[in-house]
Amino acid sequence: MISMLDQILFPLSITLWIATISSLLVLCSGVVIAYIFARRDFRGKGLAELLVTLPLVLPPTVIGYLLVILVGKNGFIGHLIFNVLGTGIMFTWQAAVIAAYTVSLPLMVRTAQAAIETVDKELEYAAYILGRSEIETALLITLPLAKRGIFAGLVLSFARAVGEFGATLMLAGNIPGKTNTMSISIYSAFQAGNNELAQILVLILVLMSLLFIALTGKIASRRKFEV
Amino acid sequence: MGVKVELRKSYYEAEDNKKSRARNKAKKAFMLDVSFEMENELVVLFGQSGSGKTTLFKCISGITDPDCGNITVNSKVYYDKNKKINLPIQKRNLGYVFQNYTLFPHMDVRKNIECGLKNWNKESREERIMEMLSLLQIEELEKRYPSQLSGGQKQRVALARALAPRPELLLLDEPFSALDKGIKIELIEKIRSLQNKLRIPLLFITHSLEEAFILADRVLVMHGGKVQQFGTLDEISYHPENRRVAELTGLSNIFDDSRVVGYDEASRSTVLISGDLKIKVNSLKLNPGDKVSWGIHPEDITFLLPGSEDQAKNIYQAYVSSVINKGPKKKITVKLIRHHKTLTAEVPAHFVDSLKLGAGDSCLIKMEMSKVIVF
Repeated sequence: MISMLDQILFPLSITLWIATISSLLVLCSGVVIAYIFARRDFRGKGLAELLVTLPLVLPPTVIGYLLVILVGKNGFIGHLIFNVLGTGIMFTWQAAVIAAYTVSLPLMVRTAQAAIETVDKELEYAAYILGRSEIETALLITLPLAKRGIFAGLVLSFARAVGEFGATLMLAGNIPGKTNTMSISIYSAFQAGNNELAQILVLILVLMSLLFIALTGKIASRRKFEV
Repeated sequence: MGVKVELRKSYYEAEDNKKSRARNKAKKAFMLDVSFEMENELVVLFGQSGSGKTTLFKCISGITDPDCGNITVNSKVYYDKNKKINLPIQKRNLGYVFQNYTLFPHMDVRKNIECGLKNWNKESREERIMEMLSLLQIEELEKRYPSQLSGGQKQRVALARALAPRPELLLLDEPFSALDKGIKIELIEKIRSLQNKLRIPLLFITHSLEEAFILADRVLVMHGGKVQQFGTLDEISYHPENRRVAELTGLSNIFDDSRVVGYDEASRSTVLISGDLKIKVNSLKLNPGDKVSWGIHPEDITFLLPGSEDQAKNIYQAYVSSVINKGPKKKITVKLIRHHKTLTAEVPAHFVDSLKLGAGDSCLIKMEMSKVIVF
């Protein structure tokens, strides 16, 4: 019999772990994608934007199903992973990261893109004229000036990753001690009639959410640079 | 050496954010068609908004590409459509001060200046920053952020930042449009002395006649994307090539109803008939029968003590129809008594007071032959 404490601590730690890894990936890739969407014009940009935003509106089960097709053993990516690792990643915490990443990426891209678009292009031109390359300018000027938006996107993405349920369930399942995240644990505790456990997990998630709100509020109230 | 520009580019009038989308769509397209050469001098680009001045700067700096043509600075080719040369912005060694300063808001003054000193070693970078701070007299602002600076201070920092990497060409886009008059004149003098010191070609955009007159070695008058005239102050104000230039340089007494009737050997002048007014002018390149326009700057009309009209000397009897105060000057509107013409003159206030001129008084005015402008 697993102790009550373990039943709480494992979901909490695996959830935080998945959300952290997913958010780091979202930060790195999301900022690049947001910069490209905000500052470059290319063919198929509309389609690319649509693809990145789609998980925001698709039902989680549909996302989950599509991801299973993609990363499952017979899927394109799944096949690739199988060839490299010699094992599939379905029903592992890595699969949960993929699910969390997919649903939280659009939040990051949208928020960061909006923040980057508000940075005055003339500031970038001023940096180019001073001899700075586009990458240097992005790192020195554009991203620092958009950092509040980027940070807000990061908090939103993390919160979304913590709360992810549908796609995770389909991709990573509900394997105790392996992929039973907070959200999934609440569901199964409730199903099993273990109301006490469900209530504790719910309380923890509510507290965490309040923390996120406080965090975003704090960023928003911070001094803004005037031009 | 110097700058050689020859380019064409279609452009739109500057976008006004307040305008609705529908109105933006109806914007008129213009064709920028410019060609000029300059040495290490200060050239003022003068023209109304929408005349293509900023678009020209964007082409020179590489922010946008011309449709065709070539741009050469100190024998370095920035752009040449035919040879397929288009130097990236970063490789064009120029300084650009934007209309709204564009200081990096998250960097202090020092970091802003440092931004342009990319490949300098630490010591020479330190030295250069100090040199720039003292050149623009902003040493005490080193650690301040742009939001803590006044407009004039921001402009000094923007200049320091632009000059730090030793540019071969300096572009200033209406740098003083948002400043108070006192600071403006101080900074204009600063720019003049900087140009004397640095000896680099400097292009300065303005739509203020006053700034153009204080600053320029030569003025490039632009309208509708075309160079109307490129010349010294004296040339553009006393020998305008067309009506547009005459109007832009503040000529307000303009009459189009004139024709050349002859040449007066005695006074070596050309005689014009304008309506029923005979007037002598210095221009010699005219032939009898030519249809011309003439005008005179309000400051160039002089008032004489009452006496008799002498058309041979461009002296006419008139009466004052109104006197308007314009600070130390007064604007006097006079009507010529025998000829149906109304002129406006600007004379020092004390002069008007000593002559006791008021509305309704008769007076004698003179239009100095050499000051009458024919185009």
